[in-house]
Amino acid sequence: MRRLELSKIIIYAILFLSTLAVLVPILNLLALSLTAPGRAHLMSGLDLIPKGFSLMNYELLLSNPLITGSIVNSVWITGAGTLLNLILTSMAAYVLARTNFIGKKLVLLFLIVIMVFEPGLIPEYLLVKDLGLMNKLTALILYKAINVYYLFILMRFFQDIPEEILEAARIDGAGHFRMYTRIMMPLSKPGLATLGLFYGVFRWNEYFRATIYISEPSKWPLQVVLRQFVVRKDNTSIIGNQNNLFDSSVNFDFASLQAGTIMIAIVPLLILYPFILKYYAKGALEGGVKD
Amino acid sequence: MKALRRMRQDWVLYAMLALPILYFVIFHVIPLYGMKLAFQDYRILGDHVWVGWKHFNVLFSSPAFASVMQNTIIISLMKIIFVFPIPIALSLLINEVRSSKYRKYVQSVVYLPHFLSWVVIAGIWISLLNPTEGGVNLIGNFFGLPSVDYMTSKDHIRWVFVVSEIWRSAGWDSIIYLAAIMKISPGLYEAAKIDGATRLQQMTFITLPHLYSTIVTVFILNLGFFMNAGFDQVFNFMNDSVISVVDILDTYVYRIGIGNGQFAYATAASLFKGVIGIVLILGTHFISKRISGKGVW
Repeated sequence: MRRLELSKIIIYAILFLSTLAVLVPILNLLALSLTAPGRAHLMSGLDLIPKGFSLMNYELLLSNPLITGSIVNSVWITGAGTLLNLILTSMAAYVLARTNFIGKKLVLLFLIVIMVFEPGLIPEYLLVKDLGLMNKLTALILYKAINVYYLFILMRFFQDIPEEILEAARIDGAGHFRMYTRIMMPLSKPGLATLGLFYGVFRWNEYFRATIYISEPSKWPLQVVLRQFVVRKDNTSIIGNQNNLFDSSVNFDFASLQAGTIMIAIVPLLILYPFILKYYAKGALEGGVKD
Repeated sequence: MKALRRMRQDWVLYAMLALPILYFVIFHVIPLYGMKLAFQDYRILGDHVWVGWKHFNVLFSSPAFASVMQNTIIISLMKIIFVFPIPIALSLLINEVRSSKYRKYVQSVVYLPHFLSWVVIAGIWISLLNPTEGGVNLIGNFFGLPSVDYMTSKDHIRWVFVVSEIWRSAGWDSIIYLAAIMKISPGLYEAAKIDGATRLQQMTFITLPHLYSTIVTVFILNLGFFMNAGFDQVFNFMNDSVISVVDILDTYVYRIGIGNGQFAYATAASLFKGVIGIVLILGTHFISKRISGKGVW
């Protein structure tokens, strides 16, 4: 009995340490971002409470046009992009999951070929160039407008809608497009929510295509600004000319501003996290290795 | 004739498929066809010139490419050996937690990093590994270890990849094993308990054997992406001090292609990677189908 308790304590402790390993670095950056300017050097990498609470770092960040502009760009790319994702994916999923037509097998084979044969980076880059989409947010919205894996997941959701409901609508004379908009879509809200989260998280986190397609800083999404600032340590774009806007007696800490930018990039995910836990995991399991 | 009539009748279906297919043709099939650039010389104006295997000959005799291949294989192998088993262990541990509240807390927290972008993760790790004030060095110092600048140390950077990969994906990847554990009949555990089996014995003689097919499937499917080695991670963690030991195929293609504008040569490198990738994916797909009936699609 005592041995059993001991092993239980060890297991609980290991798991608790694992959660600390995730939480402490994030909470440390949160605390750092809330630390008053000029005091960041007092913060150690394990401190979870800000030294002198202040929102000044966020005030500076959110008064910087590069950052606010990039937030607007990211919201637009994520919103418009996810909407496009959902429209195209659901249309294709309805047709492929619930109807029969000549050539269906060919289309499914085409999708599998698409899934296996990924084009390389350079031809994709040259295509975007040829289409005149360089330096345009449209290039990012069109990028991955349908993900084949996600399409297959949505097809599985659509297949779960009982045939009788569709049959009833068919008898009432509804055409395929009507059945798709009036029956399939309203009845598949959990499936669409799942896909919306899949696509939305992907869109919000995308940085690489933006790095290579968009050279004009005012069109950068937040992740690219964050990369420029935190990974490439280019501070002039953020504080360089902005410091003048503030009382010169205020010495902003580079580390705190970096931490604040990271936090701004995480916030939308944290807000959606309860929904992510509810829908994402279920959808991922259904789409992943299946029985 | 009959087929034609049916197709005309079903025009709405074709219309609904038109945009999705058009998207795939423009953004997938055309660039796929564009991979022929690997056998050409790129010209800004006019047609590209066919040059046969020229770029491949240069590629295979270049020492840079050899070192890139070596890095790709080493980093991928390290991840398979050290990252792959962690989610399995984690799922076994989480399964031992009887309190549903604690379980939920653990799961909600360890899944989180999976949803953060690699840029954010790089930011978090750069700060965590800071040589003076970073959390890792503070803990190391506490145990008497000297401070190390892990991000710029050639001896450590690949281990940084391994550990940060675990940090990011171990939690989320445990989901699939937890789902498999949930499907094990509770009756087996009841019977084992009556026979006096300890928790550890139940784990090794009931849970693990039932996880076997899932483990094999996930392992094989991972092999299909062996040549990737984690582009986003390397791209965001890379710096000049360590580039010689972390530059992998995908980052190499990016640097010589987008960076230096050697489009054709970079395409040759990425075609080489693509062919190996397809062989691996098709191979693992069919092996996996044979062993467990589960494939990539």
